Amino acid sequence: MTPADTTRRSSPPAAVVEAGDPALVVRGLRKSFSGRTVLDHLDLHLASGEFLALLGANGCGKSTALRCIVGLETPDAGTVTVHGHRLGAARGTEPAHLRRQTAMVFQQVHLVRRRSALDNVCAGALGRLPLRRSLAPILFPRALRQEAMACLERVGMADRAAEPAGRLSGGQQQRVAIARALCQRAKIILADEPVSALDPAAAEQVIGLLAGLAHERGLAVAAVLHQPQLALRHADRVVGLLHGRAVLDAAAATLTATDFEALYAPDHRPAEQEPR
Amino acid sequence: MSTGTLSPQIPPAPPRRRLISPAAGAVTAVVVAAHALAWHATEFSPAALVQGWRGMADFLGQALPPDLSWQQVLLPSLRAALITLAIGLLGTTLSVPPALGLALLAARTTAPNRWVYQAARSILSFLRAVPDVVFALIFVTAVGLGPFAGVLALILHNTGVMGKLWAEAMEEIDLGPRDALRVGGASGIQIAAHAVLPAVVPQFVGLLLYRFDVNVRSSLVLGLVGAGGIGFLVNQSIKLFRFDEMVTHLVVVMALVVAVDQLSAYVRRRIGA
Repeated sequence: MTPADTTRRSSPPAAVVEAGDPALVVRGLRKSFSGRTVLDHLDLHLASGEFLALLGANGCGKSTALRCIVGLETPDAGTVTVHGHRLGAARGTEPAHLRRQTAMVFQQVHLVRRRSALDNVCAGALGRLPLRRSLAPILFPRALRQEAMACLERVGMADRAAEPAGRLSGGQQQRVAIARALCQRAKIILADEPVSALDPAAAEQVIGLLAGLAHERGLAVAAVLHQPQLALRHADRVVGLLHGRAVLDAAAATLTATDFEALYAPDHRPAEQEPR
Repeated sequence: MSTGTLSPQIPPAPPRRRLISPAAGAVTAVVVAAHALAWHATEFSPAALVQGWRGMADFLGQALPPDLSWQQVLLPSLRAALITLAIGLLGTTLSVPPALGLALLAARTTAPNRWVYQAARSILSFLRAVPDVVFALIFVTAVGLGPFAGVLALILHNTGVMGKLWAEAMEEIDLGPRDALRVGGASGIQIAAHAVLPAVVPQFVGLLLYRFDVNVRSSLVLGLVGAGGIGFLVNQSIKLFRFDEMVTHLVVVMALVVAVDQLSAYVRRRIGA
């Protein structure tokens, strides 16, 4: 019995799927690096208003999946559909417009350290600004700065707007990065290990914030996590990856320790256990 | 079973280090041979230097003490030093726009495609390879003797040097902010303006100040070929065998170079470059 066989593939709770539109659908995503398969026909879906946790051991393809979805990596095969529009198959101005609907929050935050938190948040809107209003922060329209302040307010960082990003703590920087994603007006937020470098309190705050954006604003949010407890507390649904495939897809509330064990230590799973 | 403690057994001895590897030996031999050839090619001869001590003593006898007469030597020397400073300043600042433009095209992180990248790299290599003195000689024939030719020469050469150094600085940045903005749909120019350039500002300013320092010294040499400034006065003094005047000019040059060096170092320290 393979580890994949021992984990379950249950449908997400109907309430979660039906709660929102299918914001993101990934079908048969494949990606190899130097002959090593990292993603192996990965299927994934994410609904508006849903907070999805992606779990799995290091190297199982979680981050690569997110990078393929946002276009930072080119998949070898497979399709990515955002709100019914297939990326790569769209024509004219559609690809950029569709790309902007998906924002990414990174583990290393990726803010410009010397720029203020506000300028970093404004930078999330660059894709929809004309060039003449976007070549320097001083040229940003007043309306954008106000919108960026509202985004900072949403993540509880409005009082640090003028502070250079490099002077903020890790948790504060991550919240500014989330505000940047909000300023992008993205409908889908993908977070790649957003709390791996944070202390438990800051991690709780950031994941709570992401969950709030899904549940209160109706955004589709997926976060790669290495803390099953955080996933259980905040996520609606958990997808577990093993060797580049989704081997677990279930409502967070129904998961048990055995499910996590299968993801992180598949070889040690008791052979006699039946799939649920 | 691992107990978490170190084994009481004696660990195996580390491999013996060779005094010199065959590759290192070959490199050393090549370097020594190159120096031997260079010694021969340049007719390097400490003995000839010792034998020529009398000529050196004559020169020093004529050069010292320096001529410090205010109206005839010192005042013209200070005025020429200011022109030298101005040549270095304009030669540096006016090379910033072309250097920045070419650097953006010559950095892998910002170049639109590899053809543009290769073309920009080639232009920078050419500008860097041609010495500023050669550019000055060309411009003297075009715009005549004087500091303007020096400024033009420095702009071209400095564009090549700064463009290459800036392009390399841009290639070494953390690509994360670039990726974050790319995901948001930012264009190449927007990414350069908001992710690449802000990350390299300290290196840019540091290199700019260093090049100002170098350019002031270069503009002295440019004066020797007719591009104005204090180098021109040094050249005149040598041609007229007025070595005492020449020493005065060199003292002014030294003061100028030290002042620029100190200023440049101070500003670089303040900005953490």
